[in-house]
Formats: sequence, C-alpha cells, structure tokens
Amino acid sequence: MGRWAGGSCRVLGGDRPKSMTREQPTTTGAPPGLAGKAEEFSGPFALLADMTRRFADSLELTPALVTALESIVSQVGAEAGSLWLVEPAAREIVCEASVGPSEIAGLRLSLDQGIVGRCVRENACQSVLDVSKDPAFAKSVDEGSGMVTRSLLCAPMSGADGAIGAIELVNRMEGDGCFTVSDLNVLEVLASSASLALANARMATAAAEHKRVQRELELAAEIQRALLPAVDSPGFPIHALNVPARTVSGDFFDFLELPGGRIAFCLGDVSGKGMNAALLMAKTASLFRCLSKTIDSPGRLLAVINDELADTASRGMFVTMAAGIYEPETGGLVLANAGHEPPLYHPREGGFEPIEALEPPLGIATGLLPPEGYPESRIELNGGNLFVFSDGLTEAFGQDGEQLGAAGLERIFEEFSEASIHDCVEGVMSRVSSLEHRDDLTLLGIEDSRASATRSSDSVELLLVHRFEAIAKELSGMRKALAEALAAAGADESIRTDIVMAVDEACQNVIRHAYSGKPPGDVELTLEQRNAEVTVWLRDFAPPVDPACLDQGRDLADVRPGGLGTRFMKELMDDVSFAEPPEGGGNLLRLVKRLS
Amino acid sequence: MHHEVREEGGTVIVAFEGEIDLEHSPKAREVLLECVGRARPVLVDLSGVEYIDSSGVASLVEALQQAKGGGSSLALASVSPSAMRVLELARLDKVFTIIASVAEGLDGGA
Repeated sequence: MGRWAGGSCRVLGGDRPKSMTREQPTTTGAPPGLAGKAEEFSGPFALLADMTRRFADSLELTPALVTALESIVSQVGAEAGSLWLVEPAAREIVCEASVGPSEIAGLRLSLDQGIVGRCVRENACQSVLDVSKDPAFAKSVDEGSGMVTRSLLCAPMSGADGAIGAIELVNRMEGDGCFTVSDLNVLEVLASSASLALANARMATAAAEHKRVQRELELAAEIQRALLPAVDSPGFPIHALNVPARTVSGDFFDFLELPGGRIAFCLGDVSGKGMNAALLMAKTASLFRCLSKTIDSPGRLLAVINDELADTASRGMFVTMAAGIYEPETGGLVLANAGHEPPLYHPREGGFEPIEALEPPLGIATGLLPPEGYPESRIELNGGNLFVFSDGLTEAFGQDGEQLGAAGLERIFEEFSEASIHDCVEGVMSRVSSLEHRDDLTLLGIEDSRASATRSSDSVELLLVHRFEAIAKELSGMRKALAEALAAAGADESIRTDIVMAVDEACQNVIRHAYSGKPPGDVELTLEQRNAEVTVWLRDFAPPVDPACLDQGRDLADVRPGGLGTRFMKELMDDVSFAEPPEGGGNLLRLVKRLS
Repeated sequence: MHHEVREEGGTVIVAFEGEIDLEHSPKAREVLLECVGRARPVLVDLSGVEYIDSSGVASLVEALQQAKGGGSSLALASVSPSAMRVLELARLDKVFTIIASVAEGLDGGA
C-alpha cells in the first residue's frame, strides 16, 4: 500500500493522459490493416485497452491500480480520485490508492460511513452533485485532507459475492462542476475492468497459498512417518503399521527396547483429523518416547501424559491410548488403557478376549485418577498374540456394507493366526485398507516370541547375491540367475515366474529412473529366504528416489511408462517397499513373496 | 530376440522369438510400428516369445493404438501362458484380440 507518492498528479481537463500514449508498441501492436485507426482510438476505449493490458502484464497489482486510477482521474477530469478495497472481516473499507492534492491512502472507513461505504453496501454507482445535501457524506475525510469536496462519483468494483471495493472521483474540474452520465459510464466500465484484475490476482494468490499448504502438509506427513519406529528387524516380537486416511494421521504407535530386553509399546488415536490432530499426535508420541525410558509402569506413564496434555489442552481435543511393557523372555505383558478401543488377546487355542478399559482418555482433566495412575492389567501371552488397534479398523465397512465391528475384525485376525506377527499385521492391514474406510488405520501386534521360536527356525538363509551394471543388456542374465536360485530353493514355476518378472520391473525402474541421465552404476540383488517367505533386496547407488513413486500405478487405468511396471511389482509380490537407505547412499527396495 | 515379417493374403504377419524385455522392446516397437504402417491387418505371432515385460506390453499397446487410429487392426496369436499372465496383469487381455494361432487368424480373414 501507498507505493504511489500521491499529490503530484496534475489534472488538466482535456489533456490526453500519459498512460494513453503508446509506450510499448511491441506489446500493443495493432493488426497491420488497423494501425492507423488504432492511433486515433482515444478517449475511454483507449484508456480501457491500456488498463487491461497493464493489469495483464503486471505481476504486482497495486502499481497497476494506481496507474489505472491516475488515468481515470485524468480522463474524466476530476480533481481527485481514490480506490477503496473492502476488508470484510473488519467491516471496513480501506483506501488503497489516491490521486489528487492530498494523500489519503491508508485511510479507513467503516462500511456504514460515507458515500463510498454506501456504494459498496448497495453494490451500486453513486452520483452526488452536492455533498452538503447528502447526510451520508463523511466530512472526516475532508477535515483530514484539507480538501473541499463538492461533487462525487463512485462506482463499485464487483466480485462474485458483491462489491470488493469502489473507485471514487471528486469534483469535476470542467463545465458546471457536475459529473455527467457519460462520466459515470466511463467510471463504471473502468471499475469493472479493475475488479476483474483484482479478482484474478486474488485467485492466483489463493492458488499459490493452497499449493504451499499442500506442500507443508506433505512435509508434516514425512515428519510424522519419521516419528514412527523404523522397520523392525526380522523375528522382532512386535510389528505395527499405520495407514493415514488423509495426508497426515491422528493415529500413532511406537515401541522401543528398554534395558533388560523389555519392550515399551503404545498405540494412540487423537480425536479429530487433520493438522491439529497431527500436531497433538506428535506431542503425545514424543512424550511417550521420552517418558517410557524412565517410568516403568504403563499406568503411571499414561497418568503423567494425561496431566501434561490436560495442562496444555486446546479446544477439547483428547487422546485415547493403550500403553504397555512386554517381556519377551516370559511372554508376559503389562497393559494400561486410557479410553482406547479394547485390545484383543488371541490365545493360541483360538478365540479372543477384549481387554476392556473403563478409564477416560488423556488430556481431558487432571485429578481424576488415583496416585498410582491408570489401572494395569497383566496378560500372559502363553503362545498367543495381542492386538492393539485404532477404531478405524472396526469401523471399516465389510463387503455387506456393515461396519466390521470387533467380530468382523476377529474373523480377519483368525485367517492370519498361523502367520508370524509381521505377516499377520501386514496381511490384516492390507485386507482392511482395501475395504471402504474413513479413518486412519493403525494396528500393532505382539507375539510370544518363545512360541514363534518353536514354530520355526526363523533363520534367514542367503540364496543369491548378484551384482550387475544397471543396463538393459544385463537383465537377461539377472533373470536367469534369479530363476535358478529360486528353483534351488524349491519355489514352484509360477511363483518363480512372478518373482522374476517383479524383480525385472524393479530393475527397469532403477535403469530408467534412478540412474536416468547419469552414467549407470551397479545394482546389487540379494535373495534371502525366511521360513516360507523369500525377500529380494535390490540396492542401487543412485541418488535417493522419492519413496512415493511406489504409490503410482495403483490405479488400474494407469498404463503410463513406469506406472505399469510398478503395478506389476505390487500385484506379483506380497510386499514392495523402500527400506532405510544403506550406508553410502543409494536406494534399497524390498520385495517379499510368500512361497505357499 | 529375433523377428520375421511376412505377408499372406493381405495380412501382415510378424513373428517374434525370444525375450521382449527392456533391452529388446525398442526394436520390437520399431518393427511393430513399421508393420502397422503398411495399413493392412496385422497378426502378431507370439508363439516363440519366452518372456515379455511391461516395456514389451507398452510397445504392443502403442502398435494397437496406431492400427486402430489408422482404421486397421492388430491381433495377437499363439500367446504363451507367461505372456498371457502379463496381459492379464496389465488388464489388457480384454483390449487385444487374442486368437489361438496364425492359421486361425488367416482363416477368419483377419
């Protein structure tokens, strides 16, 4: 605002305004046959053409508006002019620019004040021949500027939802000093042009802002993912997954090893969705990670988090959360629950026992709990599993259109009861996330590692290491080596074909995208078998790729180059994901296939 | 990968052999587009194809689109189970006309 110095615009009726002279013949060149006529093109039309061009050319709107105002004042032959914009929140109008003997830019009027206020309120032109006879006239403006206003002409700048501002002309310098109908017509047309330019500029600003917010959301989601524990090592007794419903999630989980081999774990769900839920999630997750290292009672831990959240609670938000400590050596665990969906204990023999919680969620009030905090339950896994999950899972819709509920979810758990906890959690989540769901989905599973140790050797066998240059010519040899190693491991032909094809597509992505435009480096393929599951690790030495590139290709209509290959990989394998990049950079892709 | 192009009764028959993978699909694409460019019905004999990947499928799709765009046709003959698997994965098994053998395609006046 106020870029224009003001007060210097000399108004000489009948003079051709400076802005009407053709300063930029290159951009305004008329068609050849019309050149002569264009020069004669004068008056309001030339002014309108000139203004429109300036608006289209200008990156910054205010200077263009100031120039437009100067031109209008000069064209009509007024003593002064001002351009006003509405600030709807404040119910005020603000003078954005002024031309004339005194500078009034920055002046504010209530929407109820002045002729200009009436113009905006009614979204209609105002012509006042003698302001002294109009009680609406705001004398304060003259008192401030020292000018004497006699006649006024005011036209609204209209947007989709009424007036967004107005242009006002003061005191006609020629004739009887009264503005004419033709003056009004000129002003009205010019005000329309200015309002279009203004609306465009605002739309562009809003679009840029939207893009910025979207980018920030993506960054927030990235930070959130980083808050969740990294991929657990094979054979770890706890596995968890989070699938956000939107970019950012209000759910979270965490687990960390404590001294003595015990593992602290938690799963929580913040009320609401979107950014504020995500921020509260980040705070709660950080509190858990920090406090669980020193407080070895889940009940007291939840009580401390409750007090902290309640102290700084905002807008009635709260968190439901289950937290516990697991002792893999004994298969026993201690669990406390603050208003969270009851976790399910799944004994080895079958069936499910909900661990009910009667205590309130975190962050609502302090002083509701006994000194020892939330009550704790002790559970012996005895070879069974414990599942902690968010209500997004029970509220997903089954094939029958009904919510799954605990019973529907239990049926899905049962299908995977023979699998390792890793495969069970992955399998259940893949099943539920394919159903219609509206909330974040989070599942944490704990297995009795003593049972899984007796169930299988759980050892990882290295079947193949094959390193080759990332060029198309090497793929045939890679496929042969991989197929032979898989055959030796007892994989039947159709599974061999599938794995080879998926790995081939993954290698193509490395060749075509990761090393794109660079001298090709190497690819290192490692094939491992763990029980009835093979894992191919594909490591390259290219700059890191965006892990989100795996998200494309999910759409069946997507047959773009690269997208098709990615879809093949996902359909052919049970899991395709990027792992933590290895030391020395590059990318590490993990492709998993169950042999049975 | 090898290929062979011949014409029979106004139909262009192109037979591929070997692996249509990232290394060979540019050549396959070139051959296919040349065949389609003859503005006659094209039969692609895949009986000798042991392996085809997404880049090979993309070449077939491009040739099919060109053929249809030029008012001509393109059909696949003798599709091996592994090639069929790829077409199914790509949801393209319903998009292509697939016939049992070249002989059948010629009888049917493809």
